[in-house]
Amino acid sequence: MDLLAQLVVNGLVNGSHYALLGLAFALIFGTTRITHFAFGPVYALSAYGCWFAAAQLAAPLWLAVVAGIATGAVAGALTYLVVYRPFERTGSPPLVILIASLGLLILLENAIGIVFGTDTKVVPAAPSGVFLWGPLVVTSAQLAQIAALVIIAAALGAYLTRTRFGKAVLAMTDNPEMARVIGIDTRRLSVVAFALGSAIAAVPACLILVKDGATAHMGFIAVFMAFVAVVVGGVGSLRGAVAGGLALGLVESTGMVKIPTEWQNSIAFILLFVVLLVRPRGLFGGR
Amino acid sequence: MDYVLHVLVMVSLYAILASSFNLLIGYAGLFALSHAAFFGVGAYATAILAAKYGITFPWPLLAGVVVTAVLGIVIALPALRIGGDYLVIVTLALQIIVTAVLLNWTDLTGGTDGIRAIPRIEMFGVKLDTPGRFLPLALAAAAACFWIAWRLGASPFGRALKAMRENEAATQAVGKNIVAMKLSVFAIAAALASVAGSLYAHYVTFVSAEGFTVELTIYLLAMVIVGGTGNLVGSLVGAVILAVLPELLKFIDMPSDIADKVRQMLYGLLLIVMLRLRPQGLLPESASAHHYRAPPERPPVDTPVAAAALEGNGLERHFGGITAVAGLDITIEPGRITGLIGPNGAGKTTAFNLLTGFLQPDRGEVRYRGRSLNGLKPHQIVDRGVARSFQDLKLFTALTVLENVLVALPRQRGDHLAFVYFTPWLVRREERDNLARAMAILEFVGLDARAGDLAADLSFAEEKLLVVARLLATGAEVLLFDEPLSGLAPNALAKVLPLFKRLAQSGRTLCIIEHNLDVIRELCARVVFLDEGRKLAEGTSEQLMRDPELSERYFK
Repeated sequence: MDLLAQLVVNGLVNGSHYALLGLAFALIFGTTRITHFAFGPVYALSAYGCWFAAAQLAAPLWLAVVAGIATGAVAGALTYLVVYRPFERTGSPPLVILIASLGLLILLENAIGIVFGTDTKVVPAAPSGVFLWGPLVVTSAQLAQIAALVIIAAALGAYLTRTRFGKAVLAMTDNPEMARVIGIDTRRLSVVAFALGSAIAAVPACLILVKDGATAHMGFIAVFMAFVAVVVGGVGSLRGAVAGGLALGLVESTGMVKIPTEWQNSIAFILLFVVLLVRPRGLFGGR
Repeated sequence: MDYVLHVLVMVSLYAILASSFNLLIGYAGLFALSHAAFFGVGAYATAILAAKYGITFPWPLLAGVVVTAVLGIVIALPALRIGGDYLVIVTLALQIIVTAVLLNWTDLTGGTDGIRAIPRIEMFGVKLDTPGRFLPLALAAAAACFWIAWRLGASPFGRALKAMRENEAATQAVGKNIVAMKLSVFAIAAALASVAGSLYAHYVTFVSAEGFTVELTIYLLAMVIVGGTGNLVGSLVGAVILAVLPELLKFIDMPSDIADKVRQMLYGLLLIVMLRLRPQGLLPESASAHHYRAPPERPPVDTPVAAAALEGNGLERHFGGITAVAGLDITIEPGRITGLIGPNGAGKTTAFNLLTGFLQPDRGEVRYRGRSLNGLKPHQIVDRGVARSFQDLKLFTALTVLENVLVALPRQRGDHLAFVYFTPWLVRREERDNLARAMAILEFVGLDARAGDLAADLSFAEEKLLVVARLLATGAEVLLFDEPLSGLAPNALAKVLPLFKRLAQSGRTLCIIEHNLDVIRELCARVVFLDEGRKLAEGTSEQLMRDPELSERYFK
């Protein structure tokens, strides 16, 4: 029982990580309908930005995280402006943009490897506390992951529902064509969605850097998990992406009771498979 | 010298991988990112059977082909229900799973160590232990695999695959079993990739999971894109370019791990630049019109004699809380044109969908020739003699006008791969006859002069004609037309309308959804008025148009 409770806690922690990735991916995908595989390397780049500030420039951790977020936002916006936007302008079909994003994924991933090397980057001794709560063990890093999800989801929710710009983003997520028809500047919104989504993804990237360190290849599994969270939750729903991410974390973690760790990704696959077969529109998908 | 021969061996293997990948992406439009996994499973099957059990070539290869084909079918299962991004993520997940299995099922696969000391192939007493000795086998295998892919691509089956890529619903509506098509093409593409994998294992005598990751899939994707999707020769060119280009990097002095990364960056960059500048690839998919030379004689367009009425009894269909069709009784009498009219949202198209198996009724039954059509798939209903067109046309735009008609001809042997490979002469003869039939149909609708043009290049009126031709080609006795004349300017209407008059005189059974009451009056012997999912009235057009309540409903 205690073991299960601990696994649920771990699942929530990992789930928060996936939920943030899913939220970020869904924001970009929902707004622009671009299957942004280069989300992965941009995510990795944010972690490297944070590492560079912390380890090379000796910035305090909070400042380094800000630097990581800024790196992500800029890199994300650039991927849109430099690569995807020209395709959109010439009316390329979505599949062509998807293939281009795969090309960009592999291009950026290897560029990171060349610039930063293949060793795992770590930041010097992050403060870490351990809390005992009855039989449960929770570290401060884990708490930070859950807190990050709560804060970001709440802030994003407020931004999207309260501000004019946020409402426009929501409208575009709902129906991009209609948004264009009623005169929303979809190009500007797309840039914002890419910057915002990448900035959100930068937070879990920095947390992972603090916890496990950063590698050039960390992005691929991140974009994969983000994609799975979105599909499981239901394409086109931000809430669904969060729920999908949490579900993914919980299933993965509780599945560990019976299944060895190295098959973790396989659990995600099975969840994906079952959801697609039973509820192809995802847990929260409408229509 | 050995180095050059080695590159040639690798080019041969890549040629197999790229051309089989192209069948999936380019021909069938199934964007499955798991080709490296198929390659890897083939390689591991051979490695395990040859290194651990001492089984000699070619048995491990054949076993791998079977295993991988089955895996291909498994991954095709989700593809039956979903497409686009969903298929991408599912196949990507499969790719990751296969890598996880190869890494973690240590007893079988050697885990992270991989499998070493895979025996080399011995043929005619010669051990194929150098690139030079292996090359003839690699070339022969590449040629054989390419032939298999080529036959498939050039066959009526390949044409149907391209149609499916253009539009799945329309492909079903012309009587194709797209489920069987997807399963077959996945199985064949996976099996061919497995052949390359098996040879690779024997050739390098060592396999490890790192060799079969998603990066390889993207590499292969780059070959297909650079060469040109839907063009198999293009895949050969792509394989040569992408295999040779990185070798040039060897002449630049840099550490090998950096060189490897630069190589991969190059693929990524090439992929983006190519899509930007020439998305159709170096060798674009050719409109295959020049392959077709129709014989001069034209058989008459056969006019199937309709014997029975198509009946829908008590049809009901709900979408969530909305009732689209509520207790509809409809009879489409044989040998005449029935008009289906009613305001927008009356349920006319839903009625068509229920009659042709595109939707299953929640309640009620569709009957034809004394048999229930409930539960049948659209292609089975076409086979029973009931076919339909779509309001939004759904033409196969990247196919030629002639191909649009050819693909719709019923019961083609060439749709079955067994015939394509084992009795090609029968398929060829049938194809000659079908060409004549297709040309005759095009002549009938007046499009024969445009047979070799792409459907995308037709005018709107010509598109409407092609819809008629394609539906005629199915050979069905009952033809349901969803707004075949809507949106035509008066002068264009004057061109298309006589065609329907001729169809009416030919004794076919037709049902037409139409808003233009003049057209209805001119064509239809009987008219059914639909509103709110029910039949409100039925009779001659004069009777219905005199009814003040109906006209109020219609013009509200």
